[in-house]
Amino acid sequence: MSELFPRKQVMGFVFSLVLTAAALTVYFMDLSFAVGMTVLLVTAFVQAAVQLVVFMHAGETDDKVAIYMNIYYGVAIALVTIFGTLLILVWDM
Amino acid sequence: MKIDNTLPLEYSTEQNRMNVLGFWIFLGAEVMLFATLFATYFTLAHRTGNGPSGAEIFEIAPVLIETFLLLTSSFTIGLGVHAMRLGRKNAMIAFFAVTLLLGLAFLGVEIYEFTHYVHIGAGLQTSAFTAILLTTLGTHGAHVTLGLFWGLFIILQVKKRGLTPETANKSFIFSLYWHFLDVVWIFIFSFVYLKGMM
Repeated sequence: MSELFPRKQVMGFVFSLVLTAAALTVYFMDLSFAVGMTVLLVTAFVQAAVQLVVFMHAGETDDKVAIYMNIYYGVAIALVTIFGTLLILVWDM
Repeated sequence: MKIDNTLPLEYSTEQNRMNVLGFWIFLGAEVMLFATLFATYFTLAHRTGNGPSGAEIFEIAPVLIETFLLLTSSFTIGLGVHAMRLGRKNAMIAFFAVTLLLGLAFLGVEIYEFTHYVHIGAGLQTSAFTAILLTTLGTHGAHVTLGLFWGLFIILQVKKRGLTPETANKSFIFSLYWHFLDVVWIFIFSFVYLKGMM
């Protein structure tokens, strides 16, 4: 039975729960906007990385480089889209 | 068809490896799709008009339940892929079934949430904020709904044909999709709900 619950994935799950709990501090504690956003950015991106590496087996085959390049490309476009929009339409720069 | 037995079944043929890589490229495009929704959400989050703001309508309990359900389902499908690699067909199907049940429960809570929003006067046409909120959540929810049907068909096919390079490949690709939905939810949880209630 225990062979069905590999240590790596159980630890990954526990770590995800811990990160979720850490993110909840912004709700339960009275943090400033800057500190709260920092906490959220760190916990969200670390948690996404846990999913990619532990659960999605991103680095397992010879296609590792192509897969990571593709992820970086997608994320880069996503960040440019989001921060570009914020810069022009919200922060008014 | 050349089968490489040193690799897990889902990667065992050239075609399989290409399918997995191709699906990663699709997920890259999905990342960009959700990025446009997040960009629009951040732009319109404070344009509430005469409608309620996020802080007024978000409730922590259903959001936490949704997060826990989806996080756990991402874990169980990971276990399903692990069981598949051990050749444990029945264990794999059980883990996939648990995953889909958790996904269904998630969708149930989300549907409750949506009817609740409409009930308290935060419908799709109330304000720019509610429109983009429901569009973003709805796009994720539509992906989960599609995943439920996809996963069901995967289970049926594995039951019928057993674990072959083909079915293992399809199951693995489905697991990538499901993990991706969890990743998107993490960002919704953090930057829509928690940021809104901060």
